[in-house]
Amino acid sequence: MAKEFLELTYEQRLEALCKTKMQQTREKQEVLLVMDQDDHGRILPPPELREITEYMGPSGEMVRDVKMNNFKPKSNHPSGGFFGAKACGENFNLFLKAHPVYINPMSSLAGGYMAYFMGYRNPSWPPELASNLEDEQRKYGVYPGIGATQHFCQDMTIGFRLGWGGLLRKIRRYRKLNPERSDFYDGLEQVVLGVQDWIRRHVEVAREMAKKEKNPTLRRNLEEIAEINEWLISKPPRTFREACQWTVWYQMIARMYNGSGSMGQIDVWLKPYYERESAAGTLTDEEAIFHLACLLLNDTQYYQLGGPDGEGKDTTNKVSFLVLEAVHRLKVPANIGIRVFDGLNPELLRRGVEIMFEDKTGFPKFLGDKGLVEGFVKNGYSVKLARQRVYSGCHWFAIPGREYTLNDCVKINFAKVFEVAFWDMMNDSEIKPSVDELWSRFEKQLHRAVEVTKEGLDFHMKNMHKVFPELVLDLLCYGTIEKGLDASNGGVEYYNLCIDGSGLATVADSFAAVEQRVEKEGLLTWQQLAEHLKNDFKDAENVRLMLSSVPRYGRGGTRADQWAIRIVQAFTKFVKEKPTPAGFNVIPGLFSWASMISMGQTVGATPNGRHAHAPISHGASPDPGFLRGGSAPTAMAVAVASVQCGYGNTAPLQLDMDPGLARGEEGLAKVEALIKGHFELGGTMINMNVIDKKQILEAHQDPSKYPNLIVRVTGFSAYFASLSKNLRQLVVDRILSEET
Amino acid sequence: MPIREDLLLKRNNCTRKTLTQQTLKGTVFDIQRFSVHDGPGIRTTIFLKGCTLRCFWCQNPEGIHLKPEVMFYPDRCISCGNCLLSCPNKAHVVKDGAHIFLREKCNACGKCTQTCYAGTLVLVGREMTVDEVMNEVLRDKVFYETSGGGVTLSGGDPIVQHGFSWALLKKCKKVGLHTAIETAANCPWNILARLLPMLDLVMMDIKHIDSEKHRNATGVSNKVILDNAKRLSKTRKPLIIRVPIIPGFNDTKSEVEAIAEFVKEFSNLEYLELLPFHRLGEGKYKALGLEYSASNLAVPTKEKMRELSEAAKKLGIKVREN
Repeated sequence: MAKEFLELTYEQRLEALCKTKMQQTREKQEVLLVMDQDDHGRILPPPELREITEYMGPSGEMVRDVKMNNFKPKSNHPSGGFFGAKACGENFNLFLKAHPVYINPMSSLAGGYMAYFMGYRNPSWPPELASNLEDEQRKYGVYPGIGATQHFCQDMTIGFRLGWGGLLRKIRRYRKLNPERSDFYDGLEQVVLGVQDWIRRHVEVAREMAKKEKNPTLRRNLEEIAEINEWLISKPPRTFREACQWTVWYQMIARMYNGSGSMGQIDVWLKPYYERESAAGTLTDEEAIFHLACLLLNDTQYYQLGGPDGEGKDTTNKVSFLVLEAVHRLKVPANIGIRVFDGLNPELLRRGVEIMFEDKTGFPKFLGDKGLVEGFVKNGYSVKLARQRVYSGCHWFAIPGREYTLNDCVKINFAKVFEVAFWDMMNDSEIKPSVDELWSRFEKQLHRAVEVTKEGLDFHMKNMHKVFPELVLDLLCYGTIEKGLDASNGGVEYYNLCIDGSGLATVADSFAAVEQRVEKEGLLTWQQLAEHLKNDFKDAENVRLMLSSVPRYGRGGTRADQWAIRIVQAFTKFVKEKPTPAGFNVIPGLFSWASMISMGQTVGATPNGRHAHAPISHGASPDPGFLRGGSAPTAMAVAVASVQCGYGNTAPLQLDMDPGLARGEEGLAKVEALIKGHFELGGTMINMNVIDKKQILEAHQDPSKYPNLIVRVTGFSAYFASLSKNLRQLVVDRILSEET
Repeated sequence: MPIREDLLLKRNNCTRKTLTQQTLKGTVFDIQRFSVHDGPGIRTTIFLKGCTLRCFWCQNPEGIHLKPEVMFYPDRCISCGNCLLSCPNKAHVVKDGAHIFLREKCNACGKCTQTCYAGTLVLVGREMTVDEVMNEVLRDKVFYETSGGGVTLSGGDPIVQHGFSWALLKKCKKVGLHTAIETAANCPWNILARLLPMLDLVMMDIKHIDSEKHRNATGVSNKVILDNAKRLSKTRKPLIIRVPIIPGFNDTKSEVEAIAEFVKEFSNLEYLELLPFHRLGEGKYKALGLEYSASNLAVPTKEKMRELSEAAKKLGIKVREN
């Protein structure tokens, strides 16, 4: 029999899918040049539809992108932009109409997304709504989060219960109750109608493809895809596969609409489908793994596995293991965290660590339940609610469907604040410079930076729904449709807005350096230091090294370690002393995402020996090379645990481990002990890489040599070859420094 | 004949009095946190200076001598001139623009290393009190608990500074830490006997069964070592025997078998561990101004290591290969 007529196994299909994924990734690397962010499952539109564009990305940084040239948004504003629920919904509906159909006959799930709707928002903010906070926010290096989207989490089970048809009926029912909110309902309705139409087109194409398909496995698959999706146009999913397919549709429109990648507890929501079909003998584990793999190939969404339910009982179940297995087979970037707590099934953690060392793809991540729950409760919430706040983004957690957070969107650059304080002191002829004086000015400036950030949050909260409401996430929240209010506008129950600090080590080490070299040892005067900073240590490498060789934050027991704690305590105090002026609760954390480079660009030389415009330190991490001549993991784990802000948002620990470490059972147990120890000390999250140093160096020289090399850059993982040279350099520096 | 303590002292250039003082202060050349290859669990390994052997392949040459030494890395030099100003013995000179270190003039006072911010001059061997070491050790206490780890004394050989080793181990036991030692056990039995109550695990090297070959390669006979091994085997202390596999010295099946044969009746033997020779210490020889006699040796292949461990296993003992 000819090969094309042979039945295909799941294994063969997965292999073909992975090959396609690699081709698509390579094509993205060629067209987009760099992708300093999650890999995303996105595929490029066909060449004839491609148009290169640059725009402000979801985390506030410029992004180069390709958009589809067959969609042009309709403006409803003199600026040429489109704003408000109805306009956004209608335009998104048109965007989906223009979006091609994508079906890979090897996959059990239809769909593939090709463009980002955000790229068509120009301008993205109505000019007349400008805030008057910009100058001050720039002064402190604040990433204010004004205009930031998503970064909270919907509850997928709402969608599983209602389906698109049910959602449409719900919108129409509540529209009658809140007639004054028709603009909002129009927007929501347009989104749902757009998805339904998009799915319908896939049904038609799948039928056509099935007719032409010669391979019996693929023909059957395409027929099933057509059937399943015809049902899903309006009805809720009935089976495991349908639930996966429904998730694909939702995650694609969430990603395309405004970049959302937050999903939550996949093992919890898929469990009933799996158990029912598995018991009935209609679903094998191999098939379940295959559907999960197809889902995970569609996008690199953020999921939590295991962890306590509201009552503290472990949610780990068979699906948790199947998800791990699916990623293990795929070996593609994935952002899935295991929530570690005392009651966790130890086999889940073990399997996770095994895969971490076997695959070396920075997967999975580890989440510290104790620090998260104990911290979140301090905001005045119950333990039950704290446990229900689940992993759903780069470094963050949210209560599915009930909480709006702006997580990972709001950052204060400590290094910039330090710089302001330093020059404020040096330019004040009334006083004699001292470390005490510098600290008190740093505190004062940091306090103001936090305040102006809070004011910015209020500005965002007041205006965002008028500009670009959360039409996709709103669909699966509690209260949004019911009240007719966007999640950013009072639609959900809880508001806990994020404020993260960045560049901790840069500042802690700077304080330690001036304290020791200027004040204690008198090796430099304040004026000399100021001159060297102004000149970026020109012709003064010795001075720079003198400053940078002061024992750093991370080593343990140093003055820099104490400064780091002091900085975090001050920051936490200022964030928590009161809510925003409008009354929104705020939660402090430490994180810089991949913005160390852009944040560093605005800061001159610093007294820790950092050159002007060089990157600032990463999140809560010690600066690379902080422990000369030593092995770093436990030192880092202790240091990062000591600077947790302690209110339920995270300060992740970034660990780059040697592959030789986890040899055999004993090695795996040691890695587990490292993870548990950090969480015991109050740590909240571990992003881990297992990297061969020689390989990463070679890949840095010539990225094309290792197209499959995946690294966890920060909270997200990506193909190393897709990253910019600058970001690759940071990853390499971090990893190599642990060797010397 | 057991090794004489006076010879041990002489070899390390110190008197009994200085050794006694070391109960209070030890000369430490490294403290390695997250040490995962020196005993069970996550450990902190304390490297103490001074050794009684002179193995030509030694991988920690900076640990051989008891006294502090200056390591010199000229590649890192930025020609700042600080060392020229700080050295009381004029051990640093500039010749044709290059930094020359006259080691013969250096008495390792460490003054230059304090102002060498580039890391060209590094003092190896820091005097530390038991409490200072404990401060470092206790930073990772939580990880000892989650992993069943603890503290390992290594070197050099911790028996050289046995007074300090004893005091440090005692303190570790007092706070409930698991303790281990890595030693060649080339010392009077009473030194080991005194340390044993403070130890949960002994990791001991046996490099060769043939005394002459042992002497040629390490500078000492193996008589005391083998005697001590036998005596250790009569204690109930968990014992790991380690063999560094050195090409041309002990890397044949019969040589490894002889060691395995010797230890196979040890009732407290956890396992025999074969450690392949590696050249990672080479740069340190250069920095210490020493000749590296093992530069021509090849690193044993994985196949070789497997072959040797299989040979030892055949004698019915547990073998761990690395």
